[in-house]
Amino acid sequence: MKLFNKNVIYTFAILLITILPLTGCWDNKDINHRLLPVVLGVSKIENEYEVIINLPVSNAGKIESRIVSFKDKTIAKAIDTISRNLESRVDLLHVKLIIIERGAAEDGVKDIIGGFMRSREVSPKALVAISDEDINVLFSKLKDTIGLVGSTTVDFFEKNAGWDPDIALTRVWEVYRGIHSYTYDVAIPLIRSGDEFPMEQIGSAIVKNGKMVDQISPDETLLYNIFKGESSSGEIEVMEKATVRIVNNSIHHKGSFHNNQPFLKSKIKLKVVILETRGEPSLNEIKKELNQALSERFNIMILKTKENKADIFGIGQFFRRELTRKELKNWRTKYYTNLKMDIQFNVDIQNQGYLITS
Amino acid sequence: MDPIVKEIRSILGENNDFFLQRDIVADSAVVLLCLDTLVDMQKTRVVLQKLTHGLLSQGTSTQDIWNVIGERKEGSSHKVISAIKEGKLVINIEGTNRCILFEPVSKMLNRSIDVSTNENVIKGALNSFNENIEINIGLLRKQIVSSQLTVNTFSIGNDIPKSLAILYINGKVDTKIVEKVKSLIEKNKKMDISNIQGLSKMFEFSTWDTISKFNSTELPYNASQSLKRGRVVLFIDQLPFAIILPNLLWDMFIVENDRNLPQPLMIALRCLRVIGMLIALISPGLYVALVAVNPEVLQIEIALSVLQSREGVPYPAIVEVLIMLVILELILEAIVRLPKSIGPAITMVGGIILGQAIVEAKLVSNLLIIILAATTIGNSTLIGAQNFTSIRIYKYLNVILASIFGVFGLVTGFVIICAHMASINTFGKSYLHINTGRSEY
Amino acid sequence: MVRSLHVVILYLLTHLGLIFFMFPSNIIASTQQGHWLPILIGIFVHVLFLHIYMKGLNYFPGENLISIFSGIGKGAVILLLVPVLLYFFIITLITVRAYSEIITLVFLSFTPLWAVTLLLLIVSTYVAKNGMETVLRTGLMLAIIFLPLFLFVFILSFQNVDWRYFNPVTPDLNFLTSRSYYESFFVFSGGFLFLGFVQPYFSYERKYIIFSALLLIPFFIFSVYIPILTLGQATASVTFLPFVVIADSINVSWLMFDRVTLFFLLSLISFMILYISLVMCKTILIINRYVPSIKPVHLLYILSSLLFFLCFLIPDWKDVEKLFWWNTLLRFYVFIAVPLSIYFWGVRKRKGKHETI
Repeated sequence: MKLFNKNVIYTFAILLITILPLTGCWDNKDINHRLLPVVLGVSKIENEYEVIINLPVSNAGKIESRIVSFKDKTIAKAIDTISRNLESRVDLLHVKLIIIERGAAEDGVKDIIGGFMRSREVSPKALVAISDEDINVLFSKLKDTIGLVGSTTVDFFEKNAGWDPDIALTRVWEVYRGIHSYTYDVAIPLIRSGDEFPMEQIGSAIVKNGKMVDQISPDETLLYNIFKGESSSGEIEVMEKATVRIVNNSIHHKGSFHNNQPFLKSKIKLKVVILETRGEPSLNEIKKELNQALSERFNIMILKTKENKADIFGIGQFFRRELTRKELKNWRTKYYTNLKMDIQFNVDIQNQGYLITS
Repeated sequence: MDPIVKEIRSILGENNDFFLQRDIVADSAVVLLCLDTLVDMQKTRVVLQKLTHGLLSQGTSTQDIWNVIGERKEGSSHKVISAIKEGKLVINIEGTNRCILFEPVSKMLNRSIDVSTNENVIKGALNSFNENIEINIGLLRKQIVSSQLTVNTFSIGNDIPKSLAILYINGKVDTKIVEKVKSLIEKNKKMDISNIQGLSKMFEFSTWDTISKFNSTELPYNASQSLKRGRVVLFIDQLPFAIILPNLLWDMFIVENDRNLPQPLMIALRCLRVIGMLIALISPGLYVALVAVNPEVLQIEIALSVLQSREGVPYPAIVEVLIMLVILELILEAIVRLPKSIGPAITMVGGIILGQAIVEAKLVSNLLIIILAATTIGNSTLIGAQNFTSIRIYKYLNVILASIFGVFGLVTGFVIICAHMASINTFGKSYLHINTGRSEY
Repeated sequence: MVRSLHVVILYLLTHLGLIFFMFPSNIIASTQQGHWLPILIGIFVHVLFLHIYMKGLNYFPGENLISIFSGIGKGAVILLLVPVLLYFFIITLITVRAYSEIITLVFLSFTPLWAVTLLLLIVSTYVAKNGMETVLRTGLMLAIIFLPLFLFVFILSFQNVDWRYFNPVTPDLNFLTSRSYYESFFVFSGGFLFLGFVQPYFSYERKYIIFSALLLIPFFIFSVYIPILTLGQATASVTFLPFVVIADSINVSWLMFDRVTLFFLLSLISFMILYISLVMCKTILIINRYVPSIKPVHLLYILSSLLFFLCFLIPDWKDVEKLFWWNTLLRFYVFIAVPLSIYFWGVRKRKGKHETI
């Protein structure tokens, strides 16, 4: 066999080529050499971002969490410095909850959320929440009470775990959409660490174009969810007479446009079951009072949003046919404030449980 | 003594089992020559005497008797010697140079028809092929009672001749393949062949194919069904299996005994085998990719438990996987080789070492053991030992590519394997050919 | 149906791979509302030329594009075959470079670009090495494994859709002057020339190809509309790969895997590997016809090495876009000229036959 046989040359060439990829396993980093935080906290102090993360560390077979924070000009730089000073690289791939401090939210979350969407490390379906108190305090309290390990914090918002229709559910991409969209604004849940409960839900924040402008209570958040169609198993208290649970809801909207003024007629049909009563209210009383209470609450909410020119219900979407895109750009400022809403609640008591009420 | 007998004695005389004796058969003096170990001399002499006696009493002349009882050869000692080596009895008529080749009573040197040792039968015929080529052909003829079944025998090899038989069903087989096969056998008649690699050389297949172009089976039922589907079956003397040409991808998943079950079950079983193969190919690579390169794909709970299980393991995931795969291959190979007395002990030791000790010693994470078990089990659902081994090699490609490029490397490895399978063809018929009877893909 | 299965599957796969990456952002950038009109115009043009092309090929049974053109004459070769060759070469370069960039962006952030390009080229070369028939059969095998995965994620991506974003429906005609609209035509013209090259190996029936072209229509429409319906035009126009962002935001809590984007994208990448090897195969066929002294396999290796080195000359995405735009004129020429010319020559040939009889 000749030494410079064709096959020998080819084999050598292929062997040389296969050496090239061995020069680096660039992305190869074992999972136990990465730190995977699940919750990320951001606050703004004098033009600098402070970033807090919880790191799950394995300690003698159990997983505990350690809280680390750092301040820097951008979030990416802060994370980088944290990685630099820790034994493994911090990977934001599994972050499921982003908590933004109220101060930073009122300043504007456009850069923060924009950074997350651009980098692709944080998944766009991570949840967003706004914290009403200092983030450091919140994190240390959470760590003491529930351990902040794994997905227990996120379970507060999980639909198949601790979620309730009183809590708004907003993801990063929805906030991002709210920043750029002509017609959509978002409601972000507002949390605080409480004495009785590790994470108290005190309502939702109205975020317009990335800036927090106002706040609504949990009852009003329930209405917000009803309007969006996500309210099954929410419980409403009726004027101190009874508490009912919503089992089904259906909504019909009809939008029309006259004389540069938008009209929206909505019919919301709720099917409820009675859970508990105080005294002996009759069924009709309950129905009437429920309708009244809901309509009033709703009108108050609309007034509030109109004041802030923030369209969290997405009502602008109904008028996409009537308005051109140029006009839609001014939806919030020109048209929304003149919106006339006629909302009718139609409550149907499906059953009363095991006891009979007349 | 005749010169031809002297010649034969000079060549074969050193063998102690060479038998040479004078005798009287049909009223003439003859010399009987044979190899003692192949011919049962006692019974043969009785049969010979009875036969010639009967013919004599009927009044046939001696000349005619010689023509009747066997083949007549004159002159060349070459053919006579090969006849002796094959186990025939040579009767040399004294005073002439003529020899008669007589078919004697052979010694019982064959195994009886037995159950197959390497293939498990769930519901079907249990008898398996033998070393004797004639018994094998006979078994197939019993399966296919048809005049279209054609048998062609060749004697190949120069120094050590072996008989090679080709069987096919005339109406169903692809005539191109049969002609090509026959012409190649004729061309390479001088090659000495005693195994499948030799057969590949004879048919001029590349020696570096990872997937064999022959399928082999020990069951006559399988062989007869492949004949009915238009394949060619080859037998080599003293190899106890049928060699089926060409080999197609679907032979890994489809075995004819499935048809003894109701159809939905048959389809479910076949899907299960496909899933088994996919798991065997993909699991180790997927583990490396998800643990080392792309952990964002895992749910956080699984990620945390993997993190815990890998705590304290000294080397990266790829090395862990490769070490365990090699150990697993060693155990599989060892189990095949060990005698039946020690075998169970080694399996127990292997199980304990792999399962318990290696995880306790923190050399390997326990998730990996589960993955490897899944891989081996998936691999074992395939049909045919040679298919089993081809897939075993492909998963290494996936593991290596996955460790560098993550899940992207895994997909690329998979594409390479598919392309490799698509590029194989036997005499023009692709490896991925599906014969549905009505139309061909 | 069964006889044309391989060709139809290859047609489907190559188009699916091309649609979901750059097409949505091009269409979203080209107009503000009524996106259905540019999409439908593109589809109509595509089906029309596909039909003409296949009808023309029908007049030359058993021959592939090269033999048809060389049968017509040297003029046809220079005017038509050489641009086609150039077009194939540039398309391969752009595709390899663009998709390695996307892979580095989406999955593997630390791997250098040359490693990903190397892997893509090696795999495509291997698939193309054994000829057209291997490419077609590999297509069928890949389809069996990856199409269900792809469809599964595609259906899940409807999760967050708000149908009211469909309005305003009335289209805005200024997309006709927008550069990115013409760039989006690479989806329509990139995939059907291969039909002229499969002839000696697989025959196919025309109606199945047209049928699968119609089957692709929902994918064309939804690849643009799902980002618009989920994010809205304003947000979708600032995202680079809108469909990838949508896939990232799908939330499936019952699946073992967290981010299904990966599977979706990887199915598409495997289709693209097939596409690249198909185009390489065609290029080699054309070159081999006129330079028969070098064996086709060696030509393939030379081609891949050339592509690999040229990828280094394109340092960033802006240059890729520039190359894209230059290729657009060549693309329109090839897209229109080749089917029409084949059709006319086919008609002339048939007329000629009738006249001599």
